[in-house]
Amino acid sequence: MSSITGPMQMTPPTPAEPVDSPSPSYAAQVIGDTVAQWQAKIALAWIAVIAILACLAPIVASSNPILIRIDGHWSSPMLNSLSWIDLVLLVLLGGITALQFFNRLGIARKLCVLALGVLAVSCIYWWRGPAPQNMVYERFRDAQKSGHVQFVLNAPIPFSASDRLRDQLDPRLMPPSPEHWLGTEEFGADVLSRMIHACRIALAMGFVASGIAVLIGIIVGGIMGYFAGITDILGMRLIEIFEAIPTLFLMITLVAFFPSEDYRLPMLMIIIGIVGWTPYARYLRAEFLSLRQRDFVYAAQAAGLPLRSILFRHMLPNGITSVVINLSFGIAGAILAESTLSFLQLGVVDQPSWGAMLSQATGQGGQFVWWMALYPGLAIFLTVFAYILLGEAVNDALDPRRRR
Amino acid sequence: MLNYIIRRILLMFPTLLGMTLVTFLVMGLSPGGVGGSLLNGAGTMKADVARAQREYLERRFGLNQPLLVQYARWLNEISPIGFAVGPNQKLGAFHWLKKPDLGYSFSKGRPVLDLVAEALPITLLLNLITLPITIVIALAAGIFAARRKGGILDLTSGIILLGLWSVPTIWAGVMLIGFLANRQYLYWFPTAGLHDTLAETMPFFPQHLAGGWNRGWLADIGWHLVLPVLCLTYSGFAFLARLARGATLENLSSDYARTARAKGLDERAILLRHVLRNSLLPLITYSAGILPSLFSGAVIVETIFSIHGMGLLMIDAIRARDRELVLDEALVVGFVSLVSYLLADVLYAVADPRVSYE
Repeated sequence: MSSITGPMQMTPPTPAEPVDSPSPSYAAQVIGDTVAQWQAKIALAWIAVIAILACLAPIVASSNPILIRIDGHWSSPMLNSLSWIDLVLLVLLGGITALQFFNRLGIARKLCVLALGVLAVSCIYWWRGPAPQNMVYERFRDAQKSGHVQFVLNAPIPFSASDRLRDQLDPRLMPPSPEHWLGTEEFGADVLSRMIHACRIALAMGFVASGIAVLIGIIVGGIMGYFAGITDILGMRLIEIFEAIPTLFLMITLVAFFPSEDYRLPMLMIIIGIVGWTPYARYLRAEFLSLRQRDFVYAAQAAGLPLRSILFRHMLPNGITSVVINLSFGIAGAILAESTLSFLQLGVVDQPSWGAMLSQATGQGGQFVWWMALYPGLAIFLTVFAYILLGEAVNDALDPRRRR
Repeated sequence: MLNYIIRRILLMFPTLLGMTLVTFLVMGLSPGGVGGSLLNGAGTMKADVARAQREYLERRFGLNQPLLVQYARWLNEISPIGFAVGPNQKLGAFHWLKKPDLGYSFSKGRPVLDLVAEALPITLLLNLITLPITIVIALAAGIFAARRKGGILDLTSGIILLGLWSVPTIWAGVMLIGFLANRQYLYWFPTAGLHDTLAETMPFFPQHLAGGWNRGWLADIGWHLVLPVLCLTYSGFAFLARLARGATLENLSSDYARTARAKGLDERAILLRHVLRNSLLPLITYSAGILPSLFSGAVIVETIFSIHGMGLLMIDAIRARDRELVLDEALVVGFVSLVSYLLADVLYAVADPRVSYE
């Protein structure tokens, strides 16, 4: 059966194609059709900007100068302050960019190179010792003022996300100015810097939370669709139970019962993932219900393949389109969920998050701080919009009626 | 039809049971167990208060018993059918009808049933005002776009609707309250709540009183509702308008529309008399789907505009670590959503005689 490699039901009966010119695979066609649309291009560009900013955040926005010469002594405080995650992200970004130019390397080798890079940087990190925990951000600004500095190369935005500008007289809630492009927040930290650092949480939340949701959805939906009958009925009840409780209420309930302070971020990811799995399960179940009667599934069963192989090797590639259509919307939903929870002060604490920043716009005696409302909100909106545009584009590319 | 409704109502029970089981197990498995943070402040409380609270929890959940027994006890308390519970965790006589006891909220100092009875109508009011407005605007926009299929207006409205759909409610709410209900900028709308402080003394309709013009109770609540309803409307509107556009397009090219055209009706009559009714159908089914999201939106909107509905009650309960209130809220909201799903399905059958659930 050829349908193991691509969903047959999607391709209309076409005359036999010439064999000598290999046509691109179905996945490649869909990706090509998606990227060909202008909305998808804009959306992908924005997501790429967010991703690059997320990786480069500690370089782009940091109170520690990139290069400084104090009393004739050269040093790079910024490099020393990088955490392990910072380093890994930088290596990954640099590695992926560099590997674009080596087309001849296979995907497996590229992954090996990246893994080696991560390993190397981990060794360097271990050798150097962990980054200092308590930063005195104003140290280098003070040194500059007192005239000990002969040369300094600052980051483009010379403020860290948690730098509360303690050396300044009253840094709180300063409106946008040439020094602080997007103003400062209620504790005096630079808004632009916090927004750049918050890209990380938004992106990570989108990917990890919807990854968890997809995983649960695929397993539950696959089992429901494959076994049908009583399993299916019980599974549908479970889906109904989860869908009957409004999402935000369910999330808030979970956050309320597991208010872990130490593992706030992973906990949030798991909670948002647990709440969001039902659409994936619902659609995959429908696909599997029709697939289970197909010849190639019978063949796989007759060959005595284990259940894991039948479900995930043979059936899943044929039913995955329904998951892919929903994935982009799911990521948008996860980002929205994180910012909403953080806005309600049930999400991440202390770390920069767009939603938490938005919640600082009102408060403090009814005063409205427009720059705290406009910019973080705009960032959430643009990111969610990008993912939804991308989802629409994927939808169009996968829809057989709209294809050429 | 009656058969179907009865079957659906019966099917609600397993769903409700599962829902309560899921929420209760989550609470039971969380650190501290069911009674965990309810007894949080016990150390700082007066001895008799702490003892009263402990006795209450013992009676209600039987804290030293297995989790499933705790769940069964709790279920017995909240259901209208069940055993009376006496002192020392003893089960009393069986009643076919008793007052469901949702428990007592220690953070608010009142029975949960009272709190819910106060908050639920407010949230329902918000949603019941929002839903029709959403559907009407969405239908109008959808038909408008469908009639200009492929035109500039259709394409731009498509993108604008997608954009509206992705505007986070938290952002819209904060911007609206910041710019339109704030003394720093435009002070057109009230900042918080559903009533003016003087609402009790107002006449129902706007009228001229001795002290001058009085806007009246109804207009007052309407004035307070503008921004919250706007916040709740736009995202559902964007979703439904896209749906309405699709339905209208499909119906405009259907056989019956062609027949109507063939017998010489003008496009306007076809649209308003024939196509409109059929385009309404998918909207009805999907409006049930957006109801839970409206409830979710209500949490945000109520928090931003300080409206004391279910959402704000939930947030208050979490801030006070009042887990029993959280549990009951999830239960009530889930129940209301189930009922609204059922209502939407029944409405669908009423609106479309072809639909048969037999």
